[in-house]
Amino acid sequence: MERYSLCVNEREYEFLANANETLLFVLRERLDLTGAKCGCLTGDCGACTVLIDGEAKKACLIQIRNAVGHKITTIEGLSENGTLHPIQKAFIYCGAIQCGFCTPGMILSAKALLDKNLSPTESEIRDAISGNLCRCTGYERIVEAILLSSKMLRGEDCDV
Amino acid sequence: MVDEKDYLVANNLNEAKVLMHEHCGNIHVLAGGTDLMVALREGKRSGRDTTYLLDISNIQELKAIERKKVTISDEDCNTNEDYIRIGAMVTFDEAAHSGLLLKTAGALCEAAKSVGAQQIRNVATIGGNVCNAAVAADSLSALTILDAKVVLEDLRGERVLSIGEFITGPGKTAINEDELLTEIRFKPLEDYYSAFVKLGRRKALAISRMNVAAALAFEDEKITEARISPGCVFATPRRVQSAEKILIGESPSEELFMEAGEEVSKEMVRITGRRWSTDYKYPALSAVTFKALAIAYNQAKSDT
Repeated sequence: MERYSLCVNEREYEFLANANETLLFVLRERLDLTGAKCGCLTGDCGACTVLIDGEAKKACLIQIRNAVGHKITTIEGLSENGTLHPIQKAFIYCGAIQCGFCTPGMILSAKALLDKNLSPTESEIRDAISGNLCRCTGYERIVEAILLSSKMLRGEDCDV
Repeated sequence: MVDEKDYLVANNLNEAKVLMHEHCGNIHVLAGGTDLMVALREGKRSGRDTTYLLDISNIQELKAIERKKVTISDEDCNTNEDYIRIGAMVTFDEAAHSGLLLKTAGALCEAAKSVGAQQIRNVATIGGNVCNAAVAADSLSALTILDAKVVLEDLRGERVLSIGEFITGPGKTAINEDELLTEIRFKPLEDYYSAFVKLGRRKALAISRMNVAAALAFEDEKITEARISPGCVFATPRRVQSAEKILIGESPSEELFMEAGEEVSKEMVRITGRRWSTDYKYPALSAVTFKALAIAYNQAKSDT
């Protein structure tokens, strides 16, 4: 075991871990941040998506030592003082969540997109979430929710 | 959690070469890790039973895409020309959006965009893709029409091999155990229009079932240069010169592109023989080739 420190959601964590652990394992088992889900462990499903320096990446494919020194954002870091992030609000408003397993990854992929592009087209949205599998919704409401959240983030009046 | 391994980190290229030399044969390079992490978790070590993993993600020299004057002292190429250099650790996302590559290697950008999904493209590297040498690697056909070369370095110096020389079979390369693939270089295809078309089972996260990279150059409404490389259909990447010949000197037309597409399929059967899948692959490969040629031609038309 070695000592690591990691910046997650703007907080520094110190913990012991083995060098062969993945970022996903550390988040869930060492830091009790269970928002990132453990789906396929092969980089396919996207349920473990987190942001590393603002870019969406799959935490199951990242060695813990490759995460050190970077800013990690997980779903737990999106709300501020108990107020949900606009993307989270839009997901609830649009009914874009069913079983919820894909939702944290889906929302973080959406955030990575919207942080770069506040007015994405539907096709850009579909491309941005193409690495996140959802077996419940058929994606339509998820796309709707991301479109709605882009409007909210642009400051348009959305009545949500 | 993955297999118990000793992780070594190289902070610059020289450190990496020293570590590769010290642990020669007992060390495996970790690039983006999108394939290796999965292989390690499944207890496979990509064919190599090594004690050490070498993390090269801190090496800045391997992360640039740049235009460079390079002197190559190959037999066939002893010039001081403009080259595009892609560092081995450049990610597919970086390649897909590089202004320099969009201008000089459009098909490679398209191929890069087609890899996995955004989260994979943010991590997976072009050097890793080439070193894995998967038959279905998305970058290989695009690199083949660029006549790209790979640079292999060790403590003694460097070797430059063409993609064809480097990839010796499915999953097999000519890299030595203490060598690192440091860059991919090619002459810019500035007068060409190029395209990459991929056929997968679904749009995202799909491994190519088949892909085609093609590049065309025109003068006075005639095709002056043509390059076609199909992916996934041969054991090692190659161009199909018999199909390229059909195009050169001719005026572009749908019939001509269909004829060239058919020739690519014929070449596939000549090289790999008829298989159970040929009934499907033959017309599919012709159609994918046709589409790639048509896209390249349409770019030329909209450019003039």
